[in-house]
Amino acid sequence: MDTAIDIVLKFVAITVVFVVVLLVVAYTVLAERRVLGFIQGRLGPNRVGYGGILQPFADLLKFILKEDIVPDKSTRFIYFLAPVIATMAALMTMIVYPFGPDTRIPFTSITIPLVVARLDIGLLYVLGITSIGVYGIMLAGWSSNNKYSLMGGLRSSAQMISYELALGLSLIGAILLAGTLDLFQVVEQQSGWHGLRWLIIFQPLGFIIYMISAIAETNRVPFDLPEAETELVAGFHTEYSAMKFALFFLAEYINMFTVAMLATTLFLGGWNVPFLDSIFARGTFLFGLVSAIGFLVKVVLILFFYIWLRGTLPRFRFDQLMNFGWKILLPLALINIFITATLIFLRVPGFS
Amino acid sequence: MEPQLSWYLALSAVLFTIGVTGVIIKRNVIAMFMCIELMLNAVNLTFVAFASFFQDVVGQLFVFIVMTVAAAEAAVGLGIIIAIFRNRESLDVDDASILKL
Amino acid sequence: MLVLLFILFGGLAIGCALAVVAQRNPLYSAISLVGVFISLACLYVMLAAPFIAAVQVIVYAGAIMVLVVFVIMLLNVEEEERGRRRLKFLVPMAVAMAAILIAEVAFILVTVQEFRVNPPAGVGLTHSIGTSLFTRYLLPFEITSILLLMAIVGAMTLARRGGLLSTSARVIPGVTTLPRSLVDPRATPDDLRPVEADSTDEAARLLGVTGLRDHSDRDE
Repeated sequence: MDTAIDIVLKFVAITVVFVVVLLVVAYTVLAERRVLGFIQGRLGPNRVGYGGILQPFADLLKFILKEDIVPDKSTRFIYFLAPVIATMAALMTMIVYPFGPDTRIPFTSITIPLVVARLDIGLLYVLGITSIGVYGIMLAGWSSNNKYSLMGGLRSSAQMISYELALGLSLIGAILLAGTLDLFQVVEQQSGWHGLRWLIIFQPLGFIIYMISAIAETNRVPFDLPEAETELVAGFHTEYSAMKFALFFLAEYINMFTVAMLATTLFLGGWNVPFLDSIFARGTFLFGLVSAIGFLVKVVLILFFYIWLRGTLPRFRFDQLMNFGWKILLPLALINIFITATLIFLRVPGFS
Repeated sequence: MEPQLSWYLALSAVLFTIGVTGVIIKRNVIAMFMCIELMLNAVNLTFVAFASFFQDVVGQLFVFIVMTVAAAEAAVGLGIIIAIFRNRESLDVDDASILKL
Repeated sequence: MLVLLFILFGGLAIGCALAVVAQRNPLYSAISLVGVFISLACLYVMLAAPFIAAVQVIVYAGAIMVLVVFVIMLLNVEEEERGRRRLKFLVPMAVAMAAILIAEVAFILVTVQEFRVNPPAGVGLTHSIGTSLFTRYLLPFEITSILLLMAIVGAMTLARRGGLLSTSARVIPGVTTLPRSLVDPRATPDDLRPVEADSTDEAARLLGVTGLRDHSDRDE
């Protein structure tokens, strides 16, 4: 009976997380277009619904009803497989992020942590699934049987695997401080000092390196040469139309959401809202709810920062990009690990 | 009834044999390389199975080291393959039977 | 329950392994090999080795196979043709040996007795692996890091084109004579019949080092 309740709870948790992720991502697309519009001195889409609220549904309808064009000489199996791999890899990372602390569900006496799966190796799981996501892009570029797609796919995947290294190394500093790979415990440890003991105070360099690597990892401006419209036609998704393109689009924004959630979890304190434990008691439903909302607010702030960057910066050239990733970011990440390890070894107060 | 150690070892033996068959049959040098990786993974499975059933962590440590060696071998091996391809314009192992280019 | 999972992942591993060997297109072989790695990672999780499973996905499926797929795409490898029929008598021998293998596996599965210890208590967790790796097995760890350094240096040496021509080498405009052994890899080192080139670009092209001069220092 217990296992049945567990399984039902897991399914409910997965469904809730899935719906939340899709809604946030859909409205991120809308928010990006509006915010970019404001930065560029124009209004974004504001016709559909009040202020453009229903725009994502209009886009979804357009994608479903559009004609699906398949190139004639493409490798059919891989052509269909690539967006599936990209989307699956993007969605699979959602299960390890903690949305809230141990919360009591109202009207019952069950206390569950607000995370779908509490893996002992949570962070390694995220890094592994991110590595699998590279395949979607490479196979998409190859299977389109188009020189521009192939070049875009190869460049994009070269960029992604280069910045994956800096991403992983920048997280090691935070893990050294936290002492565990379990993301739920990392957030629990950041609840000292009335919810203000965030790891960014101890790891500012690590945070900066992580943000830069994350932007490069998700192919966003200023690192979006492989998919910029003025460059290689549209990069690896040139030959994709309608729903398959929607899947790639979705996968990119879900990836953005994922790295923002990872940044929030590891560096910005996760679900810790400062001074919330003086208002509600820990473990109650309201504490959990406000914590989850606080988490989403932090993630939305980071997403706003990404959109802001997109409207502000020009893009890197490809060799500058690779230069930056290998010659500047990687040594900086290694120096960060070295400094953090030294500070922990010398038992500097705060760093233990 | 749980999966026994012998089942894991049998699975590993089958994977290893498939790898050996691939190395013998394939004519493309990259495909041969992939079959070698398959053999290494079969051995990894044996190590991890023993580590689990005998409660000793050294099996998993050895898997760690085998993976590292396989990564190093992959990097250098693919570099050699690219260099060979540049000189011979073909990746067929049967045609590369003499040392002269 | 665990038996079903074992049959599922084991079957998937064997199926993908057979696909690696049977496919003629090397890209399909590579994708099937990724399938093998992921099903092996799931088997490692079943064997209470989550850290090794994650490392398998990150290193093998996420890095080594990406490299292999890169090489396949860069070299534009075609499918293998149906091989020349060679040594036909080996086929029945192979079938006989496969039958022996299957018989051995069946024998093991049927007759070996049950052997189960208590569920492992923290053997595969990151903590225990880290502790052993940095205390008792420190020497293999350090040797492995030097091995990786050797691999990096080796890969970079192999990737350099044009032998020992440095990136800042410039040919003065005008006819330049170069020893033939620099240009023709089949020539002996003391073959001094000259090769003529008119500019750095032509010399670079002859030497096969066309990628060396980057155009970022020229205003376009």
